[in-house]
Amino acid sequence: MAGRMKVEHLWVRFTGEHGEVQALEDIDFSVEPGEFITVLGPSGCGKSTLIRSIAGFQKPEKGRILVGEREVSDPGPDRLMVFQEFDQLFPWRTVLGNLTYALKVKGVAKAEREETARRFIRMVGLEGFEKAFPHQLSGGMKQRGAIARSLALNPEILLMDEPFGSLDAQTRAILQAELVRIWQDVGSTIIFITHNIQEAILLGDRVIVMGTRPGTIKKIVPVPLPRPRLPETPEFMALWHELYSQLEVHRFGENGKVESLVSGKD
Amino acid sequence: MKKKPSLWKNHTFRQVLFVLAFLAIWEIVALSKIYPPLLFPDLVSILKALVESTASGEMVQRTWYSLYLILMGLGIGLLISFVMVALAMVSDIFADFMEAMVAINHPLPGVALLPITLLWFGSGEWGIIFVLVHSVVWPMMLNTYAGFRSVSRTQLEVGRNIGLRGLRLVTSVMVPAAFPYIFTGLKISWARAWRSLVAAEMIFGASGKDGGLGWLIYQRRFFLDTPGVFAALGVIILIGIVVESGLFTQLEKRTVQRWGMVVTRS
Ligand SMILES: Nc1ncnc2c1ncn2[C@@H]1O[C@H](COP(=O)(O)OP(=O)(O)OP(=O)(O)O)[C@@H](O)[C@H]1O
Ligand SMILES: [Mg+2]
Repeated sequence: MAGRMKVEHLWVRFTGEHGEVQALEDIDFSVEPGEFITVLGPSGCGKSTLIRSIAGFQKPEKGRILVGEREVSDPGPDRLMVFQEFDQLFPWRTVLGNLTYALKVKGVAKAEREETARRFIRMVGLEGFEKAFPHQLSGGMKQRGAIARSLALNPEILLMDEPFGSLDAQTRAILQAELVRIWQDVGSTIIFITHNIQEAILLGDRVIVMGTRPGTIKKIVPVPLPRPRLPETPEFMALWHELYSQLEVHRFGENGKVESLVSGKD
Repeated sequence: MKKKPSLWKNHTFRQVLFVLAFLAIWEIVALSKIYPPLLFPDLVSILKALVESTASGEMVQRTWYSLYLILMGLGIGLLISFVMVALAMVSDIFADFMEAMVAINHPLPGVALLPITLLWFGSGEWGIIFVLVHSVVWPMMLNTYAGFRSVSRTQLEVGRNIGLRGLRLVTSVMVPAAFPYIFTGLKISWARAWRSLVAAEMIFGASGKDGGLGWLIYQRRFFLDTPGVFAALGVIILIGIVVESGLFTQLEKRTVQRWGMVVTRS
């Protein structure tokens, strides 16, 4: 795998009809190859903006993002995004077709495409649904299909924007466990957004905690727990409370920031 | 009734029954001679006229000519609309221009343009094709443009993310994603073109010895061959049914319905 990813003093500002929003302010961190990073923060703190910048969909106002030696300027298949939305598989292609088509665009030889596609479909537990169209799948299955497509392209970095956000607790738990297993298999770097504290600890090597308006990094917390992680253990609970207090500080505000906090809360 | 509920519940079966009932009533009225046969011919003489004109090759030739004209009109019309919409997608100014053109021209029936067309193009083939292009272009532009603009941002970004750019992004993501709209445009265009074609042919007459079904009707009426008029009407209806309920419905089943992109009637 290629070098580390660096986000260097990234600023992003939106100018719209409702005035200006400083979505990100001086975001600075780096990620080792193969690392699993979770980003935790309340709604509106700029998590999506951050991940969209890394994917190349969002131009920075200041600062830059490096993957190895290359500066990110455009979206590309080395940084694949799994979106929060359920409509990210192309509805006019079957599950298998979605994967083989992406492989074709990447330039994978025809003979290899189907085999690779089937392997990743199996990996996310969708075997038997290769010929199904996306509208015939449940929400969770669609997300798994999208994850399979991203993984099949073997990206250096997998960007996941609350991919399990609208799933029920049980499906979510299953997919979390699967994701960790797959990540241990393929070795991609993962940046995973969530606003769920438990999910952040369960998955990440490190948790980036963000604060809101402007979006900043409050703290980066390492998770020194062996996998698989169990939420009932005291170490887990301790981390949970630490992260919770980080978010709380934000929520009730440092002096004089009450207004921005009200609009930024979940 | 209770024995065969499944057949009676079949939409097609019920519709065929209604058509047969209509034909039966027609025949009863015709045979009762309430109206003179010259105005209200019975089915047998209509069928005889149809067989005779088919055997002599005239009906076949007229039909081909009409189909040739409409395919020319559709082809040129579709080409122009796709080019216009493509330009509108890249230029805001052109989009405004196009929308203004559509607003002006869309409500204008093709038939209303006939006198002008006669002045501009004379009474040849190109006059008819001009009218057909007019009936195709505006609904097609309107629908295709609406379709492209409705393509989900997520799917566009997925396309860019896996490495699609420019024309390839358009043909591989935007066109299929906008297919329900494009399809609607196509159906409206066909319906309008087919109706204007018959009207135009009656006014333009034949160019040389060529003339289509509209011209055939006109000629037959001139010779007071009412069964011949109805035979030509029958062919026009038949082609309409084959294209609208046959071709379009099948195409719809195989594409947008199969992909779950439109709501289906059960
Ligand atoms: N395209 C845009 N135009 C204008 N403002 C935007 C745009 N996208 C995001 N913002 C603003 O930037 C801020 C951060 O938005 P972002 O979507 O990154 O938050 P988030 O942390 O992902 O929230 P959530 O958890 O609800 O998804 C918000 O205040 C939002 O209003
Ligand atoms: Mg978000």
